[in-house]
Amino acid sequence: MLKQIEGSKAVAEAIGLCRPEVICAYPISPQTHIVEALGEMVKSGELTPCEFINVESEFAAMSVAIGASAAGARAYTATASQGLLFMAEAVYNASGLGLPIVMTVANRAIGAPINIWNDHSDSLSQRDSGWMQLFAETNQEAVDLHIQAFRLAEELSMPIMVCMDGFILTHAFERVDIPSQQQVDAYLPPFEPRQVLDPAEPVSIGAMVGPEAFMEVRYLAHAKQMQALELIPQLAAEFKERFNRDSGGLVRTYCIEDAETVIIAMGSVLGTIKDTVDEMRAEGHKIGVLGIISYRPFPLEQVRRALLSCRRFLVLEKSLAVGMGGIVATDVRMAVTGAGLKGYTAIAGLGGRPILKSSLHALFRRAQAEALPPVTFLDLDWDVVNKQLARERTTRRSGPVAENILYDKGIVSAKFG
Amino acid sequence: MSNRPFAITLKPGTSLSNLTGTWRNERPVYVDRLPPCNNACPAGENIQGWLFHAESGDYQQAWRVLVENNPLPAVMGRVCYHPCETACNRGLLDESVGINSVERFLGDEAIKRGWKFDRPALVSGKRVLVVGAGPSGLSAAYHLARMGHQVEIQEAGPFAGGMMRFGIPKYRLPREVLDAEVQRILDMGVVLKLNTKVENIEQSMQGFDAAFLAVGAHIAKRAYIPAGDAAHIVDAVSVLRSMEGEDKPMLGRRVVVYGGGNTAIDVARTAKRLGAQEAIIVYRRSREKMPAHDFEVEEALQEGVLIKWLSTIKHADEGSLTVEKMLLDEKGVPQATGEFETMEADSLVLALGQDVDLSLLNGVSGLEIKDGTVQVAVNMMTGHAGIFAGGDMVPSERTVTVAVGHGKKAARHIDAWLKGTAHQPEAKHEIASFDKLNPWYYSDADKTVRPMLDTIRRQTTFDEVQGGLDENTALFEARRCLSCGNCFECDNCYGVCPDNAVIKLGPGKGFEFNYDYCKGCGICMTECPCGAIKMVPEET
Repeated sequence: MLKQIEGSKAVAEAIGLCRPEVICAYPISPQTHIVEALGEMVKSGELTPCEFINVESEFAAMSVAIGASAAGARAYTATASQGLLFMAEAVYNASGLGLPIVMTVANRAIGAPINIWNDHSDSLSQRDSGWMQLFAETNQEAVDLHIQAFRLAEELSMPIMVCMDGFILTHAFERVDIPSQQQVDAYLPPFEPRQVLDPAEPVSIGAMVGPEAFMEVRYLAHAKQMQALELIPQLAAEFKERFNRDSGGLVRTYCIEDAETVIIAMGSVLGTIKDTVDEMRAEGHKIGVLGIISYRPFPLEQVRRALLSCRRFLVLEKSLAVGMGGIVATDVRMAVTGAGLKGYTAIAGLGGRPILKSSLHALFRRAQAEALPPVTFLDLDWDVVNKQLARERTTRRSGPVAENILYDKGIVSAKFG
Repeated sequence: MSNRPFAITLKPGTSLSNLTGTWRNERPVYVDRLPPCNNACPAGENIQGWLFHAESGDYQQAWRVLVENNPLPAVMGRVCYHPCETACNRGLLDESVGINSVERFLGDEAIKRGWKFDRPALVSGKRVLVVGAGPSGLSAAYHLARMGHQVEIQEAGPFAGGMMRFGIPKYRLPREVLDAEVQRILDMGVVLKLNTKVENIEQSMQGFDAAFLAVGAHIAKRAYIPAGDAAHIVDAVSVLRSMEGEDKPMLGRRVVVYGGGNTAIDVARTAKRLGAQEAIIVYRRSREKMPAHDFEVEEALQEGVLIKWLSTIKHADEGSLTVEKMLLDEKGVPQATGEFETMEADSLVLALGQDVDLSLLNGVSGLEIKDGTVQVAVNMMTGHAGIFAGGDMVPSERTVTVAVGHGKKAARHIDAWLKGTAHQPEAKHEIASFDKLNPWYYSDADKTVRPMLDTIRRQTTFDEVQGGLDENTALFEARRCLSCGNCFECDNCYGVCPDNAVIKLGPGKGFEFNYDYCKGCGICMTECPCGAIKMVPEET
């Protein structure tokens, strides 16, 4: 059913359709609207049977999800940013124990300085946690990915983060097709746990394992993600059959067949990129787009195949490996090892900095001309940066960086007099 | 296990194969430390031990544990200056446990219920003579009787009790209480001969295998005060003694008491009760320097007793005294000022301390007398084999409690001596000082205040000043005990151990550590409220 609906609300409805049995959540922007809506659904009896548990922290949220999942319940939670960091230990435990928990990450920057706006540094910080990570491009895809995520998680018995850009998606009202309960029930069977807790036959879960078996457990987690590389396209294909929509999969290409330059990105920024590419195509530029939906497992083969016929690529990512450069770019370069392509990285949109079409036009043209340095920081205010660097060179007690920058930009005086 | 996730889901108890105890470099051990109350008790009572039974309301058992060391709890619960309460760790938390008041409750309960001492299990065939039926003699007689010896007490006075009767006024120790506790000792088969003054111990000892001397200190010390013929000067010992006879002392309307000890207070309060309009204590130093216990001074002041500090009496005449003002020098010694004044006084009571009547020892070989007291060895035996001594007649702090302690200690040594052995007291455990406790776990509980008689009645009657606790308040007070140094099975260690390495042995049996898994983190020791766990280094 088509609805004009907020992204968070749409996701909440999709989660409801997946019949979760335990939802545990702790509020943090920009994820809060999702669990608030779910709380209302449970309270009103619209979503039943389901236990909605208010917990005292994100650490507790994930711990409760672990317990619920181990007991055989379909468990869901959502978080973002510092919340994800706070639950990090339990995040690793969930995957280590092979529990098929689905968690929405409403992507948000990580402090300090504290910042509630969107980038990808939170979920990327959990890159190696053993969780699968799928990135939604639109709110429609966010809805669809959650439905696929439960199926994928439970078939493999591994947890999944469905990542959607904070505010840009979560707080945006747009047209979303919410499937019917019958459709979802037909696609997503009831959860059949890999093991069932039985008081008559007690077991220890997650007890200490020494050097003799630990590495095998880790390898098995890796093997499952390798299986996911096959399963994800199958589930997307089946989804298309039933719901008549392209959603999910490992990667998605756009205007790539004859492209000499390919722009690679994850999440909602793909929309802006496609618009820019449309305009450049109209001017005759041979440029295309590769969207990565499955960040973990990373589809090395699919990325390589998509890029082999181009001459150069630019990874535009909302994340930064400080002291190194791109995070997604590193994986992409790994995929095209030995292919002789020119590769560039652009760091963009950190902490919610708008990514403008005008900036992308300029950036893409320089990429085409192979006039970019290996790593570019899109729309960085060099004036401000240079001032601060100069200040630090000349003054030992140069003051707090963030305050200085706000002052230089004239915001401090405006805000605080 | 094949149908379960590899190395994630294991059989229960698989983590027990990791003997984490091997990581340990310190190990916790359960210890029994000596509670400060027990350590401070001059009578060597196992205070914490009897409080433990009182805490569960088993008062008879509490009383039985108490009287293992002290046969006079009802007396002690009234007259003891309770150094146990001064030492009590709870005093650093809120207020010390009212040990003395619980002891009195148990003593009174025993009298009320008619609880008796057990008859001795065996008969040794030995005879011991006890000279003096004061606290020390009664205590020795009791303990010796319990050990199976035949005991005879020879007492010079007309009643048993010694200074408990002839020194401590009735308003602090009602005589029926004293009589009941004495009678209970006699009921064990102890023979008491009253009005039997031992003139020569060696003669009197014939037919006995050993003797314990506890004649007390009943001779009043005199100070030379120039006095007119008609001056009425008496001593405190005879005033207090005559209170027990038919003829009460005639002291007049203005009574001056000279001295600063507890006896001075007792006699001034007695004078007030006898009808004196003014009872004035003259003392040469200040209140801080006064040897009398502060609470007794306070009670005396409440009753209207006046105290003239920093004064000495220079001359006594009929109806008046000449007093010189004193000034404390840098060392706190009073120095004469040359300033005199005159006080009206119908009588002057001297309360300047007491000496021992040592005449019974004349001609006994091997004795050492020093500063008017008999010297004894650590086993309480005098220089003459078989003659032991205790109480006020040996060098000591002269209190009922110390005397009772002497009696017990002497009895043990006499028993050993009679068997031809030596009594070796057990080594004392380390003291459970406050720093060993974790008092956070104890709930707040204010000390129970004992009822006091109205002031007006205290000024006119010899009714007992301080009331006792009832069953409820005694139970509450007993339960304030922190059980310093000894496990009371609160389960803290059992609950906090991160390794489940504390094994519970069942009610009354305590706990033990499972050193296979104890990592030596010491949380149990830190969280033990009563300091019953100690960390000791592992031998490497």
